[in-house]
Amino acid sequence: MLKERRSLAVAPRTAVALAVLGLVALAAPAGAAEEAPALPLTSADLKGISTPSADDLAKGDPGGTLTGTAADIVMTDPKAGLTLADVVNQVGQNRIAINFVWTLVAGFLVMFMQAGFALVETGLCRAKNANHTMMMNFMVYGFGLFAYWVMGFAIQQGGSAGISNLGGMNPLNNEFKLSLFGKDWGLFGTRGFFLSGDTYDVAVMVLFLFQMVFMDTATTIVTGAAAERWKFAAFAISTFFLGAITYPLFGNWAWGGGWLSQLGVNFKLGHGYCDFAGSGVVHSVGGLTALAVAMIVGPRIGKYNRDGSPNAMPGHDITMVLLGCFILAFGWFGFNPGSTLGASGNGSLRIGSIAVNTMLAGCTGSFGALLYMWIRFGKPDASMSGNGLLAGLVAITAPSGFVNTVGATIIGFAAGVLVCLSVEFLERVMKIDDPVGATSVHGTCGLFGVLCVGLFADGTSNYGGSWNGVDGSVTGLFYGDPGQFVAQLIGVCTLVGVIFTLSYVFNALIDVFVGQRVSADVELEGLDLPEMGALGYPEFQLVTPGLGRSIEIGG
Amino acid sequence: MKGLGLALIVGGWMVAIGGLVASEATMVRLAASLAGLATSLAGIAALNGAHLENAVWKARGR
Repeated sequence: MLKERRSLAVAPRTAVALAVLGLVALAAPAGAAEEAPALPLTSADLKGISTPSADDLAKGDPGGTLTGTAADIVMTDPKAGLTLADVVNQVGQNRIAINFVWTLVAGFLVMFMQAGFALVETGLCRAKNANHTMMMNFMVYGFGLFAYWVMGFAIQQGGSAGISNLGGMNPLNNEFKLSLFGKDWGLFGTRGFFLSGDTYDVAVMVLFLFQMVFMDTATTIVTGAAAERWKFAAFAISTFFLGAITYPLFGNWAWGGGWLSQLGVNFKLGHGYCDFAGSGVVHSVGGLTALAVAMIVGPRIGKYNRDGSPNAMPGHDITMVLLGCFILAFGWFGFNPGSTLGASGNGSLRIGSIAVNTMLAGCTGSFGALLYMWIRFGKPDASMSGNGLLAGLVAITAPSGFVNTVGATIIGFAAGVLVCLSVEFLERVMKIDDPVGATSVHGTCGLFGVLCVGLFADGTSNYGGSWNGVDGSVTGLFYGDPGQFVAQLIGVCTLVGVIFTLSYVFNALIDVFVGQRVSADVELEGLDLPEMGALGYPEFQLVTPGLGRSIEIGG
Repeated sequence: MKGLGLALIVGGWMVAIGGLVASEATMVRLAASLAGLATSLAGIAALNGAHLENAVWKARGR
């Protein structure tokens, strides 16, 4: 995310005016500039600009040459006519409008990723749990949004003023900090609870929407790891906590001006912790919470034999899974390029590069996983190819704004292989039952993506001349800055050491007071009827292979 | 066992932060971060081991 642009946020209209005058000067012939100084543009110069007549416009504009002229610029005083101030203000508003629309549309794409997650997770679960799994994915949207509106957004972004791409964000201006070891350690923001008071602001609303759908992505990761045995009530409470506390805390430290983002300013570690679109903030937080919940609820009945050897428990609809993966890949074009929070100014035109990096890493991720599974097991596994695609996308999310296409390709491919290794390790060695591989896809590959910033950032990005308050471009170890890698490593340590612990402790408390896991009878029957009151597929006979249990409904 | 696991997980993070504030040398900070991460991962393994003691698949009849 673009952060710490305070210097550029100063007097934006003056900057725009200078830019307009600069363009006028550049447009003049070089020879003329030597002979006489360029004259500044004045309001009088605007009087002679011809605009289409009413008669011309009445004939229609099939060629598109008459629509969008000086006549469409809003005048402060129509009697005085068009002034230079009108033009300059229009230029400034157009830039912010472009950035608003870009950020909102990107946010809408990310919101649609919820549908992708729902399909992937439901398809990878058994049919007897389809309604329950789908409903968890459906309701994270509501539970998460409410928690984030009440307090999550304020904790995360309440002290992050200075995003000039959205016009400055000045109401979000108070960060709670501790002073330790002679440095300020930003911990959480304090403006924006319920989006009330001064934060009733157009730019704050745009930022809220965009950040909210990111948070929702993190919450929906957890539902996959705990699927097929998680009590719906426990899920609801856990999701609220993740959206209100855990996610926003790390979001603040990384994106809201908190202490991790200041590792460069305070400790001379590159540009501080850098996470362009959220391999750490979104995916690692979600993946590590998924790991904590999966540990607490334990493996499904039938997943492991008495000797500890695992059994395969295939999902019920692979077409649903792969369709979900496609939807997620589509939504990721909002996730990564949208994280510039704009398409105009501050180097935001890098969105083209970011989109291509996203595309490449996803494709090479699926290729890496497919190749690994084909070589190791003799078949190109469909579900792991889908997980490989997601792994590549997760891993490129943090570095997408800082690396070139070669880096993106390597990162994606490595993540595709890594997710297969991680799934096997968790299932066979750790004996953690994760029905959809959420911990591996989002946790393992998220942490890998965070580290990749510190390795592959090529030093060519220029988002307004600085990042996290440090001048210059983010540069990784392979391009000469070992300090950036250390900053990323400290981010990984914080995710594992603090965020995982926080998630674990809270979910352990839920387990004590509410109970996280359904009873064995409910689990064997399937969660649809006991937990949700309705089957996902009421007219089918559902049989769980190997367990000798079936449900026959309807007909 | 769960307490030990959690202590290792948080302790690993404190090792990484300790290295950050104790030295300005990049290599020292790198070594402290790697040691801290390894400690935290060992803590997760210990915590998981504690949960597996009562795993459902170890129970009779499941």
